[in-house]
Amino acid sequence: MAIHTRRTVLRRSLGLAAAGALARPHVANAAATTAEVWWTQGFAQEEDVAFKKLVADYEKASGNKIEDSIIPFAPLRQKEVSAITSGVVPDVMEYGDFSFLPLNAWADKLVDVSDIVEPQKSQYIDTALRATHCYNNITKKRDFYAVPMKAAGIPFHIWNSLVEKAGFKVSDIPNTWDAFLDFFMPVQDKLRAQGTRNVYAYGYQLTANGVDPAITFQGFLMAYGGKNLVTPDGKLHTDDPQVKDAAVKAIAKLTTPFKKGYVPPGVVNWNDADDNNAFHAKLIVMDFDGSLSTEVALYKKKEEYNDIVTRGMPLGNDGKEVPSPMPIFGALIPKGAQNVTVAKEFLKYAIEPNVLNEYLKGGLGRWALPLPEVAKNDPFWFKQDPHRTAYSEETLVHPTEPLYEAYNPAMADVSAEHVFSIAMLDVMNNGMTPEQAIDKAFKRAETIFAKYPIQQA
Amino acid sequence: MTTLSAIELGRPAVRRQSLWRYWRGGLRGSEFTWALAFLVPYIGVFLAFVVYPVCYGLWMGSEPKLYTDVFSDPIYQQTVVNTLVFVAFGVNLKLFLALMLSGFFMRPGWWTKGLLLLFVLPWAVPALPSFISIHWMLNGEWGFLNNALYILFGVEGPSWLNSRWLALGSAVYSHVWKWLPFWTVILLAGRMSIPQDIYDAAKVDGATGLRRFAHVTFPLLANLYLVLTLLATIFLLGDFNSVYFVTGGGPANSTHLLATLGVRDAFDLANPRLGVAVVMSALPLLIPLVIILMRRLKQSEVQL
Repeated sequence: MAIHTRRTVLRRSLGLAAAGALARPHVANAAATTAEVWWTQGFAQEEDVAFKKLVADYEKASGNKIEDSIIPFAPLRQKEVSAITSGVVPDVMEYGDFSFLPLNAWADKLVDVSDIVEPQKSQYIDTALRATHCYNNITKKRDFYAVPMKAAGIPFHIWNSLVEKAGFKVSDIPNTWDAFLDFFMPVQDKLRAQGTRNVYAYGYQLTANGVDPAITFQGFLMAYGGKNLVTPDGKLHTDDPQVKDAAVKAIAKLTTPFKKGYVPPGVVNWNDADDNNAFHAKLIVMDFDGSLSTEVALYKKKEEYNDIVTRGMPLGNDGKEVPSPMPIFGALIPKGAQNVTVAKEFLKYAIEPNVLNEYLKGGLGRWALPLPEVAKNDPFWFKQDPHRTAYSEETLVHPTEPLYEAYNPAMADVSAEHVFSIAMLDVMNNGMTPEQAIDKAFKRAETIFAKYPIQQA
Repeated sequence: MTTLSAIELGRPAVRRQSLWRYWRGGLRGSEFTWALAFLVPYIGVFLAFVVYPVCYGLWMGSEPKLYTDVFSDPIYQQTVVNTLVFVAFGVNLKLFLALMLSGFFMRPGWWTKGLLLLFVLPWAVPALPSFISIHWMLNGEWGFLNNALYILFGVEGPSWLNSRWLALGSAVYSHVWKWLPFWTVILLAGRMSIPQDIYDAAKVDGATGLRRFAHVTFPLLANLYLVLTLLATIFLLGDFNSVYFVTGGGPANSTHLLATLGVRDAFDLANPRLGVAVVMSALPLLIPLVIILMRRLKQSEVQL
């Protein structure tokens, strides 16, 4: 057994320290070709496999190394907020919610990636560009602070078997907004009359948790003509009578079925996944929820997968097309990243049309491809699967709008505070009229917007 | 020069030597070097993982404007009330039940021990899956509880998580369910440490049943009970899981505690400084509790 004296311990410690110091340049050289990437874990395993393939293909093509971490959405968000706050950041982050990008672009915490997006600008759907062209409060101008990669339309998901069990047909569903929504109440009535306990017409997210309720409200607001609540110049228009009228109608349309018992009472405390769970358990006939995650989760259960009907937005009550709110997700480079060069190369590679197309196809098409011409020339998106066809048409053919957060980060605070969810809860639980609830919500939104003055559109 | 003055001259040298030896903890030569070598990593870990995070937190929450924002937030005001209610019910209910149950588990017999084993299970299982399960069990439409009520009694149960007080009550229940075994076992150990002689003497004096509890058990456990109350209050002020995973702070942010609101502000609002300020606002309550706790821990004598 070796005898460790104080001298030998000290000598060896010094030797190790010297070896470490000498090895540093080699470690630094390796770091020069390595980028650390944080990515959101997929809803289906195929999404993660597709991302791993994207990384492997890039490493093979470039000779660079990507150290990737795939993390579930909620922990990733916390990790990203912590990283930005502490300044210890990776080279690339995928942002999984729609607040992170505008808030950090505003605070000048992100690297301008216009040089990556601009060359490919003509191929992108306009909504994707508007969603990532964010305002920086230090430079006082808008630039691209993220590379758009995934488009998420908000389709309706309907159980065909429940509609038929109630004695109706999916083809009977009207195609104007109010009539479309009202169709499902008699479906619930008939199902209940047949003895089905605890089945509900709608799975609206009327909760103050997660990101779904804000998107739901924006969808309903735009259906009633309130698109201009926040305009692309970042201005809030709570004083516009048309916007206010639309907001009141949206709140009324969402809360009235709740009060009448057509929405599960528990929705007031649901989180983002609860509507998916309730839908998969066939406890709700129809759900209004972003992306194809609802369908993709059942991809291997073909009978159920084929039983779902995916529908885009119906026409407005005036017969005109209603834009769908469309969250855009992608990747960004935080300021303080150690290897911006490799990070930019990786992102440039990732959004090459064929690369991005193959990546999103590998993820079963949960996210739509924000490059319409590429999608139209690939039968995967428009021909091979009825869900993807409906989804692709909604996101790439029919009108879409980015979430308001892209126009002004104040809306990120409004959504995070759930100002409009609170308005719904004021109507459902606190006896307010929709007008009173909207007055209160608009007042709060005005206070928040006052903190984010945008000086140059 | 007198003899006395020579002694006086020698004194400072002796004092210096004693002081140096005192600083070295009585260690000599290489012993002191080795002691330092072993101590340095610990100090490093302590600085990195205790001192630095605490100072960083204090620095993050040091801006006065943060507190203006915190105190003007209506959700915060509601949260303070929730936290006080949660602490008042959570601590007292839990410790009172623990005191009673510890008496029950003092009973002799194999079945009491078997029951104790079952009783400590909630404490032994991981907290998160338990609280998530409770969240699902309390779902008004398809949760286990309401379905059981419907199947057994034909009654439609309420939506447990839809109103502020029912939801907060559910969170208190979950917390008590999870932590009751822990405090019961501690009080059980406290009861077991009371010498049988005292009970025998009390019996000779005619004290049995409730009188024995009032005049022997409770006075001897009182200090422990008070210390546990203070400890439980400190733990509960920082409790996050029972509310976050059972009610999610809802409905409409009405059941947040300071800990959950802090996390919500830090990550949902992407404002970590605000989140830290929310948690820091509990310090005026927390620091006196810690001081009282430290003082109580010094007391060891009991007057029967």
